[in-house]
Amino acid sequence: MYEIWLAMNIAYEIALGLWPALVPLALVWAVVMGINRKKLAQVSGEALAAVAVLVSLVAVLALPPLSRSTMADMGYWVDWAGLLAMGAGVGVAAALLMWPVLAMRRR
Amino acid sequence: METPKNRSTALSRRQWLLGSAGAVVLASAAPTAQAAKTKTKAHIVILGSGLGGIAVANRLHALLDGAKITLIDRKEEHNYQPGYTLVATGVWPVSKVRDRNADFHPPQVNWIKEMVSELDPASNTVVTASGQRVKYDYLVVAMGTHQDWSLIEGMDVNAIGQKGLTSVYPSPEAAQATWASMDAFRQKGGNAVLTLPATPLKCAGAPLKMTFMLRDRLAQSGTLDKSKVTFYSALGNVFGVKVVNDNVLARWTDLGIAVETTQKLQGIDIGAQRARFVSPEGASTEVAYDFIHVVPPMRAPDAVKNSDLAWKAGPFAAGGWLEVDKETLQHRRYPNVFGVGDINGTPRGKTAATIKKSAPIVAQHLVDVIAGRAPGQKFDGYTSCPLIVKEGSAMLIEFDYEGRLTPSLPLIEPLQASYFAWLMKYRMLKPAYMATLKGRV
Repeated sequence: MYEIWLAMNIAYEIALGLWPALVPLALVWAVVMGINRKKLAQVSGEALAAVAVLVSLVAVLALPPLSRSTMADMGYWVDWAGLLAMGAGVGVAAALLMWPVLAMRRR
Repeated sequence: METPKNRSTALSRRQWLLGSAGAVVLASAAPTAQAAKTKTKAHIVILGSGLGGIAVANRLHALLDGAKITLIDRKEEHNYQPGYTLVATGVWPVSKVRDRNADFHPPQVNWIKEMVSELDPASNTVVTASGQRVKYDYLVVAMGTHQDWSLIEGMDVNAIGQKGLTSVYPSPEAAQATWASMDAFRQKGGNAVLTLPATPLKCAGAPLKMTFMLRDRLAQSGTLDKSKVTFYSALGNVFGVKVVNDNVLARWTDLGIAVETTQKLQGIDIGAQRARFVSPEGASTEVAYDFIHVVPPMRAPDAVKNSDLAWKAGPFAAGGWLEVDKETLQHRRYPNVFGVGDINGTPRGKTAATIKKSAPIVAQHLVDVIAGRAPGQKFDGYTSCPLIVKEGSAMLIEFDYEGRLTPSLPLIEPLQASYFAWLMKYRMLKPAYMATLKGRV
């Protein structure tokens, strides 16, 4: 329980430094979602999955160097599990972000 | 022009405006917010505005209704000291370890911007450097350590950054100067000396991290074959937890790092770049160096050491550390006094992680005493050390008073060098620190 509470607080403190970028992005995303809400269902699941997988792969490759580490520093399965989970998270976020953008291209 | 002061203020304002929604969610879920506040008119004085002092102040503000809280500390800048090793090894810019204390104080706290010069627990009085006498009902001592540089003959803290002299301990500026020296040294290589005193230390892993990172920087620069790295310990080991000590020594053997034990740094000739070590038998050895990392002997600040609050006998008496019960962190002779952080005369436990786990206990125990209850929780001495073994890799070591490894998550292998532990140190521990400072975890 304590570890979950700690993790929530870590996420919150990290977010505090990102609000200036996250809030405008979220607002734009919400507006684009609203404008294209009737076309969202037309976006194929395969397209969203492709975006998620592609971005996840890029994230998995990019996260270690972005944090001054390398793939060679992956010590054991916990590292790989953590990296894949973070990559998957980034991929899912990217797919959600792209969803209204993909919908805009539908008629 | 943006100064650290106004940058911090601006960030604080932005955080308030944009983070308030999240704060409300977190605050409403916080354990301290869920408990009913204890009504009291007590005057609580907190000595020291580092992590321990401010964390306890914020927790007491959340737990008590009507208490007067006074913080005594001259320092206006708040430093994230666990980040010093990252600054000193070129991983972080120095700006990442600088904040303002005032941004983290609870509302309505009375801040006396002075140092403490005397403590008189018999009359419940603190005397400040200007002679101001402050009476208290309850006292929290969070004054940290005193770095006793005077015990190293010829040492001049102001010379850190010159002639290969370095130390991560004194300040952000010293950490920054240490990196400048390390960066210059690694271009050419040479004889590197790293030291460890025999006293209790805050962040006892820092000397080891500096050693690992220096070796890594030399390897990155291609000057390792022109260099010799030797670690001089005044003790018989390099770390107090045996399994960690053995693991580090095995790694250093593989990395070609030499170790000399029971060699205490007695003096240094900064101009001539020579260090003098002495063995327990009194044999003196002079060592020429191109780079030296000096770790100061540490003790309690004079105000505590010279007061009746210090241990009078036993292993913590020589350093004048605060005489607290290691489980309740309540003073053993003055029940209205508590200690938090590095000042405590307890086995091990002079890290930010120790405060993360002990500050909530200290605050709760103080509330218990105010309410007439006996302190009911037991602190197990939890300490954590993300021990960097190279840039990009670390071991996440957690242990208790007894030196038992106590990983927070069972899947973490404490002695396994990993990216995950590095990422914790590099990106996640400062947010955890900030949450602790604000009294939330």
